[in-house]
Amino acid sequence: MTAAVTAENLSESIKEEVEAPPRRSRPTRKQNLVGWSFALPFVGLFVVFMAGPILVSLITSFTDLRSTDIRSPFGVNFVGFDNYGDVFSDPKFRKAAVNTAIFVFVGVPLTMSLGLLAAVGLNQGIVKFRSVFRLGFYLPAITSIVAIAVVWRLLLGADTGLINGLLDVVGIDGPGWLNDTQFALPSLIVMAAWKNLGFSMIVFLAGLQSIPVDLYEAAAVDGAKRWQPFRYITLPLLRPTILFVAVITSIGYLQFFEEPFVMTQGGPLDSTLSVSYHAYNQFSFGNYGYTAAVSYVLFVAIAVFTFIQFRLLRPKT
Amino acid sequence: MAPAKCSFVTTHRSAPKRSLRVFAVGVSLALVVAACGRDDEEGADDAPGASADTSDDGAADTSGDDTSAGAAEGSIDVWAMGTEGEKLGVLADGFMAEFPDIKVNVTAVPWDAAHDRIVNSIAGGEVPDVSMIGTTWMGEFATLGGLEPTPEGIDSSQFFEGSWETTEVGGVSYGVPWYVETRLIYYRTDLAEQGGFNQAPANWDEFTQLVQAQVDAGAEFGVSLQPGGVGAWQTFMPFFWQAGGEMLDESGAFTLDSEACVEALTFYDSFFEEGLTPPAVSDVPVEGSFTNGDVGSFISGPWMIGVVTDAGADPATWTVAHQPTEEAGTSFIGGSNLAVFEQADNKAAGWAFIEYLSRPEVQVEWYETVSDLPAVRSAWDDPALADDALLAAFGEQLEDAKSAPAIPTWEEIAAVIDDQIEGVTVGNTTPEDGCTTMQQEAESIGTGL
Repeated sequence: MTAAVTAENLSESIKEEVEAPPRRSRPTRKQNLVGWSFALPFVGLFVVFMAGPILVSLITSFTDLRSTDIRSPFGVNFVGFDNYGDVFSDPKFRKAAVNTAIFVFVGVPLTMSLGLLAAVGLNQGIVKFRSVFRLGFYLPAITSIVAIAVVWRLLLGADTGLINGLLDVVGIDGPGWLNDTQFALPSLIVMAAWKNLGFSMIVFLAGLQSIPVDLYEAAAVDGAKRWQPFRYITLPLLRPTILFVAVITSIGYLQFFEEPFVMTQGGPLDSTLSVSYHAYNQFSFGNYGYTAAVSYVLFVAIAVFTFIQFRLLRPKT
Repeated sequence: MAPAKCSFVTTHRSAPKRSLRVFAVGVSLALVVAACGRDDEEGADDAPGASADTSDDGAADTSGDDTSAGAAEGSIDVWAMGTEGEKLGVLADGFMAEFPDIKVNVTAVPWDAAHDRIVNSIAGGEVPDVSMIGTTWMGEFATLGGLEPTPEGIDSSQFFEGSWETTEVGGVSYGVPWYVETRLIYYRTDLAEQGGFNQAPANWDEFTQLVQAQVDAGAEFGVSLQPGGVGAWQTFMPFFWQAGGEMLDESGAFTLDSEACVEALTFYDSFFEEGLTPPAVSDVPVEGSFTNGDVGSFISGPWMIGVVTDAGADPATWTVAHQPTEEAGTSFIGGSNLAVFEQADNKAAGWAFIEYLSRPEVQVEWYETVSDLPAVRSAWDDPALADDALLAAFGEQLEDAKSAPAIPTWEEIAAVIDDQIEGVTVGNTTPEDGCTTMQQEAESIGTGL
């Protein structure tokens, strides 16, 4: 791009600008140059700090790079799709993928319905102390996961936990919520739903408040009862909001990592190992090539899942 | 290190015209992969472990003048982690008083960040001169080419054998042991006597009897063993060694599926099968349940002496015992080493500092400062250590203690062992299958040397 700016083509471009027909014409070379020079700071930073590393990580996933290679990172072998083959034949990855899928398919609907419930309650039922409740529900979403882990450990502890203490009162011997292979993942799902419902609540609340009240009044005049306004007015009009919350929550949940990291370290018997956690472990073992492959498998899964959600929840025309 | 043998060729589309989309295509790189690859099949030329194998003289070269501390001068940067990092300044002051030409700058590095920070510093070539290195990291950093072989002037026999082995990667030593720890049996003597067991357990049968006696005397659990999870191998591997097992044979191949492994896993699992140990890690810390008599015994390191005392246990009611002896009475040895970096600016002064820290009297001073147990054997003759019965028991066990093999892939192998221990104790895996899986996965991971 080496356009020499001359007086001639400058005036030409001005003329073009002035006499430009209403439809957009193709920008001139010079306009391109000016445009790019404005975009340059962003493009430069993007290429160096975003696109570059992403590209390198993609390349890494096709190599056998290990931590012992980092002094000569170019001295590694390209192994084609071997890492990807290893990922899918690794029983730990498959276990992690199943756990992550359960977490997403149970956790996302649970979180969203609790969020919607809280939002509807705040929007209609609760008038007094509304802002207190709003803050209360939202607080876990902005609290450090470490602090949450401390509290939930106190709740879920097998021997000294509050929940088992309560169960003990009514004569039930509670399980080790985090130590039992059957209960560990459900416990984390409940904890994640509790932590994240505040976010969906806030977004749903905004969505609900954008629905005109006249519609409900008209429905009432027409004789709509009980669930009908919710089913035929609220849900259809919330569709774009539901899509947004579903996509954001799913992307977060597919990268399920913090909860097992602070609560169970993936155990017992890998019952809370997630795909991200598996990648994290492999990274700390120094298997960089394999880790990159796991990350790209997760990336593709997120992309596909998001695409499906857009198809299912796109606005009906 | 070998220069890059790889060329990346960028192809730009000629002058992007319209949109960012076109630009994005322009940015895409075409890789010429043909020229890439390791220098040879194994990448062995690159690995200092391998090169040092073939040229012991190379290692010896550095020893000649470097260790003569008189020649050393200038300043050195030293990294240390945790409490050691905070308190090392005390020893550095003593060193500088004796070697006024050398200035020591100590940097405290948090344990969590230490591993990555050292890896990054080696990769970037901006290394300190000396660093404390966790024993299980030695294999990785030495293979990475980051560490300098130990000069021959340093006498390996002054250290505990098991500890010295942690410095050896592929037959070459990279650094010296600084402090050590090992694992003993902590048990409640009062409960054991009540249950009819009056001596330290000499072998596995007696260990089971001890545990059973504690239960008979009213302890909820006779022993607390880790059912799995990170670090369970440190409790389990001593039993493996006691049964006569070895992790690697002479040729460096894994031997985890031996009879010894099956025996050890069966023995370990027997406590879970019979309900003598908690089935899952309890949320009550072990020192608490040990003090109030819910748990009769556990296996841990020297730091628990202080923890148990602080928890309020009456010193008359408990003691520590040597690991039980079958084929051997081996325990696990951990701790940290000191190493000089291969890219360090001032190696001579670095080794001088390490030699100073290895003096018996300095090791005792260090014990008195931060309670780290000396890696130098003669330091144990000092009354500060010898007169304490509990500590002396640790000193005795250190003579028969082994470490994890110093291989770069150790952390990954350890995770495999942890998984299989958990599979046997918590899950339905049989000890035979557990050992077979350990072996298969360890073989597929490899030693990385």
